[in-house]
Amino acid sequence: MIVKRIIPCLDVKDGRVVKGVNFVDLRDKGDPVTLAARYEEEGADEIVLLDISASIEGRKTMLNVVRDTASVLTIPLTVGGGIKGVDDISEILSSGADKVSINTAAVENPNMVSAAASEFGSQSIVVAIDAKKKGGNYMVYTYSGSVETNLDAVKWAKAVAELGAGEILLTSIDRDGTRLGYDIELTRLVAEAVNISVIASGGAGSLNHFYTVLTIGRADAALAAGVFHDGTIRISELKRYLISNGVEVRVL
Amino acid sequence: MKAVVVNYGVGNLFSIVSSLRRVGFDVDVKDSFNTIQRGYDLIVFPGVGTFKAVARYLRERADVFEDIRSRGVYFLGICLGMQIMFEYGFEGGLHSGLGWFKGYVDRLGTNLKLPHIGWSRIYAAENADKICEIFNDINGSYVYFIHSYAAYPADSTIVCMVSHYGTRFPALIARGNTVGTQFHPEKSGKVGLTFLATLYRWIRC
Repeated sequence: MIVKRIIPCLDVKDGRVVKGVNFVDLRDKGDPVTLAARYEEEGADEIVLLDISASIEGRKTMLNVVRDTASVLTIPLTVGGGIKGVDDISEILSSGADKVSINTAAVENPNMVSAAASEFGSQSIVVAIDAKKKGGNYMVYTYSGSVETNLDAVKWAKAVAELGAGEILLTSIDRDGTRLGYDIELTRLVAEAVNISVIASGGAGSLNHFYTVLTIGRADAALAAGVFHDGTIRISELKRYLISNGVEVRVL
Repeated sequence: MKAVVVNYGVGNLFSIVSSLRRVGFDVDVKDSFNTIQRGYDLIVFPGVGTFKAVARYLRERADVFEDIRSRGVYFLGICLGMQIMFEYGFEGGLHSGLGWFKGYVDRLGTNLKLPHIGWSRIYAAENADKICEIFNDINGSYVYFIHSYAAYPADSTIVCMVSHYGTRFPALIARGNTVGTQFHPEKSGKVGLTFLATLYRWIRC
């Protein structure tokens, strides 16, 4: 029996949590450490921190955020954003993260995924895939959704699983921040193509969206940001809803 | 009460150190174990790295750890740190472990996705040694797992708790002053802290 996971995501810029729509138009949502602790209390199964700072100062601040967040959590912490090499990974893991999420660097240098997996173990390596529908296919985008690649998302997912990724964090750029629901078709295509866990992301707006992506979408975990930050959905309420609909999730 | 976390490689030791501190241990992190260490009540093998690398590190210091163990010091192995206490493992080829427990470590025999990442309930095992009763308060709780390999013990009485992921596997083992968990207590929320607090009280007695 697979116990599905609910994962709040904190997009962090210069030490603050922000949230945008379709990866742009950022708004301040508070302090990452306070939010992470609140989500653990409400029953979050893991926390994801994504560094979306562009500056060197922002990146340095991020390591402190990782350390401070890890200090208050007793659940797993994944950190992503701007990771370029094995040294970055080592720095983040020793600051208290359990897993790192690699996106652009994996596309530009796929060997980095296998190097990281053999050094730190597959269990600490998450590959993030940002996908957008183009014609009949889903294509992979890098640099926070701004650069189109010629990679097909499903094929790329298979490739990273082969290279040793332990998990895939799959975001629909079309749905991100829209609250129209997860991209069920994309999620299911990827989840059925690989033999590692898939975390669905982008578009959560209602309780039913979570239920659908975890059942029909075949996701192992569902990630969301906005609906948790503004209190539209409480994690405890979401978990009760999922259990009453026959989806096993951890209850406290 | 002093605990030392053995630093044999790369990865996150931060969480286990802070969890042990939260339940009352005074914690050091050490990578050098070439001489006999005195003054510690608990030695922790954390769950980071690969079987091959960690087993090599620990085998090179097997005499030191054997000596510490024979003097009644407690050991806690987490995930891989528990797995390397067995005789051998098949992760990345065949490698010998410390051999403190009879049996081996191999891939989870499941049809579900691997690695097994996430929360599963643990249950008290039948035929468990009496010592296992001290962990009864976490029976039925959800704990956090992240692994592709599991222990296959020759002696089932060392298994205190089991979990299920398309197959049944040992989640918590204990014998004498040595305890091992397949789950990560430092990642398992309040249940993980309860487990570590139980260990603390047990060692203090």
